[in-house]
Amino acid sequence: MPRLPWVFLAYRLPREPSTPRISVWRKLRRLGVAQVVDGLVALPLDARTKEQLEWVADEVVEAGGEASIWLAEAASAAQERALADGMAASIAEEYRSLAVEAGTALGEARGQRNRTLGRLRRELRRIRARDFFPPPEAEGARRAVDGLADTTRAAMR
Amino acid sequence: MRWATRRHCHVDRAGCAWLIRRQIDPDAEFLFVDDPDEVPPDATAFDMRGVELGHHGDHCSFETVLHRYGLDDPVLWDLARIVHEADLADERYDAPEAPGLDVICRGLSMVLDDPRILEVTAAMFDGLYEHRRRALLLGRDPA
Repeated sequence: MPRLPWVFLAYRLPREPSTPRISVWRKLRRLGVAQVVDGLVALPLDARTKEQLEWVADEVVEAGGEASIWLAEAASAAQERALADGMAASIAEEYRSLAVEAGTALGEARGQRNRTLGRLRRELRRIRARDFFPPPEAEGARRAVDGLADTTRAAMR
Repeated sequence: MRWATRRHCHVDRAGCAWLIRRQIDPDAEFLFVDDPDEVPPDATAFDMRGVELGHHGDHCSFETVLHRYGLDDPVLWDLARIVHEADLADERYDAPEAPGLDVICRGLSMVLDDPRILEVTAAMFDGLYEHRRRALLLGRDPA
């Protein structure tokens, strides 16, 4: 099987101040990066991921750190699988807790349930945006949120 | 003047190009490059790594251009809210329009080359500007 192209960000930030460290960490988390080792993160390469990591690299440099962007592929299929499996496992966990929340919300009073539905839909969109290797749990989360929407709609009739 | 940006324009680059032509340089000529090193010396680069008119702090390039050129039209800043969320989706602003704009721009980049993308999105941004201008005047979304 041909290997996937990946984009890597290698970076180092001064330990202090902590504000840029936290900002960079939050951005990387939102992008759904795989952490290879400390200071080295990866995403499957596409037009969007390369650009997003480039902006983070600029932010690191502006904060007095060092950063470089590399395009690479894993030297072995096992290595690539480890990276992709790790990403899928952590996103699967997010889908699972979303599905649980949607299930719990079925028992909420109508107004509260409506608000929860809106929040969970937004959360599902956020998770999907950083899901590069959709695990089976993605479908479960979608069904759970749809189920909550159906219940909410039925209650309004 | 000549202006340079990266190939495969998405919403932030398309928005900047529209903004540059509208507010800064009506005769702007746009070049598309793969690498910052390919920017000719006489061209001003935007929405690329390491340039003045790029992302800075939490700002996308569209917001940076507004800042650097002192553009304080509230309608443009309202568009900046939408472009920022369409580009970054970091939920700094409430911009329900953004996911739609993001998808439209991504779709256009699959079927058009960069010069055509700028043409088509210019009309789109003109429309968006007019919509937001009327919304700000009315205090609600226009019909």
